[in-house]
Amino acid sequence: MAVVESIEHEATDRTPAVQFDFGAGTYRLSGESYPEDAANFYGPLTQGLRQAIEDRVSDEVEFTVEMIYFNSSTAKALMNMFQILEDAAQSGVQVRINWCYHEDDETMEEFGEDFSEDFEHADYRMCPSS
Amino acid sequence: MSDTAEARADSTPLIAEEVLDFQQNMTRRGIIFSFTGYISEGILKALGDALRQKIRLESTDTKTVNRVFSVFVEQVQNIIRYSAERIEHDAEPPIELSSGMITVGSDQGRFFVICGNVIGRKDADTLAVRLRELAGMDSAELRRFYKEKLREPPDEGSKGGSIGLIEIARRASEPIQFDFQHISDAQSYFVLKAYI
Repeated sequence: MAVVESIEHEATDRTPAVQFDFGAGTYRLSGESYPEDAANFYGPLTQGLRQAIEDRVSDEVEFTVEMIYFNSSTAKALMNMFQILEDAAQSGVQVRINWCYHEDDETMEEFGEDFSEDFEHADYRMCPSS
Repeated sequence: MSDTAEARADSTPLIAEEVLDFQQNMTRRGIIFSFTGYISEGILKALGDALRQKIRLESTDTKTVNRVFSVFVEQVQNIIRYSAERIEHDAEPPIELSSGMITVGSDQGRFFVICGNVIGRKDADTLAVRLRELAGMDSAELRRFYKEKLREPPDEGSKGGSIGLIEIARRASEPIQFDFQHISDAQSYFVLKAYI
């Protein structure tokens, strides 16, 4: 199977900018997300992440989410990726999650807090900005 | 020839009267816009953009703009995914249209979003149970329930709709209103109204 090095997408009106560098173990999602078909958009990203973790491409992973709005199907997709990351942390990979949001954005703050509850082994940080 | 011309001249103002009356009736009800017919993801995008611009211009605070937008997106995506009146065609790109109605308005300083669409009777029963359950929850319970649903493995055939309903309930400022109208043995008309 061919190894995917990275996935990069520019942001669109309804999908976030994606910078997934599997080799470096750095992942970033930023912008807005209410894709026409969330499974279609997030499927390849989730699969790529899962594969990179399984192959232990890197011993350290940094996953940054910087969203201003996402719909419920996107929340489900984020949850799937977070479960992969927490499992990776449990098996010894150094995982850091950065949840970035504007300090006035209560909705994104709440989502960040709720997602944090599922992380025990990964280093999960809330990163408010002004 | 002059008869025809006169008839045309006569009929034009009548149309205007009728359409103006229709529009004024909508305006009186606080309706910002209403769309009835076949809805696609492209229409969602276009209406969503217009909605954001319109309510931002009314100097609504960002939090409210985001809440109204979120409720709007979930409601329209529910119509697109669950309306029983739909057209699917294996063209390239595939054509997927679902029929329904989406209305956004404001009433005494609060925004509301209404959606209406036909669904199967069996789905109506399931939906009524879910909505009653949500109506009885406070914001902390809704927050917990949303999280619980996110953790569950994807439920075949649900396409994520139950989380969408919780999202709507969370962003609403009071319990969401819903109703069903019997259409036939096989179908019901479903209406959901959320105040933000």
